[in-house]
Amino acid sequence: MLLIRMAWLNLWRNRRRTLIAGGSVFFAVILAIVMRSATLGIYDNLIHNFVTYSSGYIEVHQKGFHEDASVDLSMEVHSELLLQLRKQPGVTAVQPRIQSFVLASGSGQAKGALFMGVIPSLEKKYTHLDRKLCAGTYPESDSERVALLGVDLASRLKLKVGDTLVVIGQGYRASTAAGKYRVCGLLQLGSPELNQRIVYLPLCHAQALLSTPDMVTSLAVQISGPAQLEPVARRLRTLLDTAQLELMTWKELYPELDQFITADSGGHIIMSGVLYLIISFGLLGTLLMMARERTHEFGIIIALGLRKENIAIMLLCESLFISLMGGAAGITSGWLLVRWFHANPIPITGKLKGMYLSYGIEPVIAVSNRPDVFYVQAIVVLLISLMLVIVPIVRVLQLEPVKALNS
Amino acid sequence: METTEAGTQAATVIDAHELSKIYNGRQVPVKAIDGVHLHIEEGEFTAIVGPSGSGKSTLLHLIGGLDVPSSGNVVLAGTEITKLSENKLIDFRLHHIGFVFQAYNLVPVLTARENIGFVMQLQGIAKDVREKRVQELLAQVGLTDKADCKPAKLSGGQQQRVAVARALASRPRIVLADEPTANLDSVNAGNLLDLMARLNREEHITFLFSTHDPRVIEKARRVITLVDGRVVSDQHHA
Repeated sequence: MLLIRMAWLNLWRNRRRTLIAGGSVFFAVILAIVMRSATLGIYDNLIHNFVTYSSGYIEVHQKGFHEDASVDLSMEVHSELLLQLRKQPGVTAVQPRIQSFVLASGSGQAKGALFMGVIPSLEKKYTHLDRKLCAGTYPESDSERVALLGVDLASRLKLKVGDTLVVIGQGYRASTAAGKYRVCGLLQLGSPELNQRIVYLPLCHAQALLSTPDMVTSLAVQISGPAQLEPVARRLRTLLDTAQLELMTWKELYPELDQFITADSGGHIIMSGVLYLIISFGLLGTLLMMARERTHEFGIIIALGLRKENIAIMLLCESLFISLMGGAAGITSGWLLVRWFHANPIPITGKLKGMYLSYGIEPVIAVSNRPDVFYVQAIVVLLISLMLVIVPIVRVLQLEPVKALNS
Repeated sequence: METTEAGTQAATVIDAHELSKIYNGRQVPVKAIDGVHLHIEEGEFTAIVGPSGSGKSTLLHLIGGLDVPSSGNVVLAGTEITKLSENKLIDFRLHHIGFVFQAYNLVPVLTARENIGFVMQLQGIAKDVREKRVQELLAQVGLTDKADCKPAKLSGGQQQRVAVARALASRPRIVLADEPTANLDSVNAGNLLDLMARLNREEHITFLFSTHDPRVIEKARRVITLVDGRVVSDQHHA
């Protein structure tokens, strides 16, 4: 207790220096938190925007469907299986979908499109597809014979709300699939890729078009958060007949997206590391100065009977106090900032918006408020303070009392 | 054992044999202490005098176990300290030796009361016992009203009186003082010496101090003179 008290009092012998050292930790922590939250936010948003409206975070399909996305690999889904999947912890929705590639055409223009049959009421409830409408209306019932189009696809096909969309493709077992649908709404999705390709139809009409009554190509599983991906996937695998069905996470479905995130994330972690390295040098200088200017005092207290190990504990406490004060203030302020930005994402405009779109990323800064962002910073700060104090501690342990007294 | 003036037998508390300390200088080794023999009985009030560089502080540091002799040994209160490990030596100092240094003696972040209680706290003495002893010592050194002042708020003389009180707090058998009056004016130096002499008489604590201050030499009952690291005279005063 005496050592802890002395360590605390020692910090305030030079109030300004302590505040500057603690301040450097504070700003580094805030910067690291905001940087990491923004990065993870962009990734989370990118994943969410892409997978929610296509495969889901987890997709269950017939074996081989991933390699050959043919409607011939459609499957019948029993309601008991759906119920079982839906009641698993971490699962927020299981949406039956049928998907295929079709040729979509409008006023004289034609373009390949990703065709997806969904249950509009379920999508509205769980993926809030209705909120992505930028023109027109959302289907009022699950049986309305209408189509929702990605805004860029509609523009390319020169289609407006109320126009007729014609789709031609291949149905079940080489049957011809052709149909006409009224465009009821245009969607502005977070994924620029989907905006250029997607056509949504109510599931019953999509099944009729593809000649696959009561069949779907996949079950899109939505989860409560990115951290739930692996645990939920593990649990669901145990419920499936793996001889016929296959479960894939979005990481397995889109490995290039996962690799892009891993590589980009590595760069951001290196940047945070450089930031912490810079403040570490500053902090080390402060700790060395604090120890060096008290060499005579250390000589006195060693002469009086204080063991060098106890002086080392005192120095350790001083380092921890500076780092924890700066770190705690930084984490608290960072948390408040992240909370605010999470609730109020910043839209990106101007040339940067074009750059984001060209990378297929929604032009918005949406920060992540994952708890690991905060506790990782706390651990980093703690480790830094423990490592930095090693140098002054080694010096104290090598201190000769007479030399210290004469200093 | 020797017989004192009062007829009682006094134990030897400091016993140094063939003590030498050689520093490796840039060109030639420097003998700071050269074959010193020293026997000091319990309750003595002894000054080590000599010109600057004669080895007074080095001898005190060797006796106090703060420095390691090149040869010879030191026995304090029956324990050969030159054979103790570093931590055992620190523990020995904690329980048996009180130190008073020239200046900047006190821990600046602690009050006078806390500085005096510091050694006792290291010894693990209970708070109530410690507080009682601190009060007693503050009264003895005449600083009861300054108990809660930090060293920066005390004069040089007051700081040295706190240092003496701290040196006595653990009831050591020996107090080693390295030029305790060097930074004090004559009034404060006189007061400090009177205090040390009184404590020596009343508590029978052995005082050994290095000095070249004539006022200190005058008060000492035994004066050992060092020149070039050797004892050239050892005089007992009445």
